[in-house]
Amino acid sequence: MDLLQRFADGEIDAFETLVQQFQGDIYTWTVRIVRDPGVAEDLTVETLWRLYRARHQFRPEGNFGAWARRIATNLAIDHLRRNRPEQSFPTELAGVPQPDPLLQRETRERIQQAFCRLPAKLQVAATLALVEELPYDEIASALGTSVGAVKLRVFRAVRILRKRLSQAGIKPE
Amino acid sequence: MTEHDDREMRDTLKQSFPPVNTELRRDLWPDVLRKLDARQVGVPWYDWALVGLSAMMFLAFPRLVLVLAYHL
Repeated sequence: MDLLQRFADGEIDAFETLVQQFQGDIYTWTVRIVRDPGVAEDLTVETLWRLYRARHQFRPEGNFGAWARRIATNLAIDHLRRNRPEQSFPTELAGVPQPDPLLQRETRERIQQAFCRLPAKLQVAATLALVEELPYDEIASALGTSVGAVKLRVFRAVRILRKRLSQAGIKPE
Repeated sequence: MTEHDDREMRDTLKQSFPPVNTELRRDLWPDVLRKLDARQVGVPWYDWALVGLSAMMFLAFPRLVLVLAYHL
């Protein structure tokens, strides 16, 4: 029987196979949004658990990866909503090249803080489009919306951010 | 917003946010399995009793909803 059909029927072995296939993709997507490896691991586990719990709603002819990504995105948005506004992204990550040292640390932190105070949906769209530079159609699919709506969210995010940075006396480079 | 503005903000954000390591470092299946096992434990009877009691109280004294909403 087809793997996805077996998963929808509740077979745990089929689910394990899907976890092995998709956990990396779900984690990669989530960490790009929340930018914290520990949190991203927790959210990936939660996503996988929710996928199993909602298996009866999944149509075996559907796209499991896209469905998983959408649930992961919603969980990441909920996480950002719950953890604001004092949250800022970690600036020191082992083994990862650091950004331009000319941009002073304080300025960077203020930009991060202003960014984290954006409404969660705008923050996610802006992170994926501007920081991660992912294609708009990929973002739209994960957010369950249209490309136009994603562009609008990015536009609004930039406008709010520009205003807040200007109030803080910071001009984008 | 012009394309130039967009690029300007993109550059600023990219400098402010360090790239993250997107590679998963360990297998999460054991964690998922643990969570599945943990969540299969049923709701204890006294929780259901509490829910039932609360529902009865709200039906009998609807104004309690306002009191509760005030305290939330």
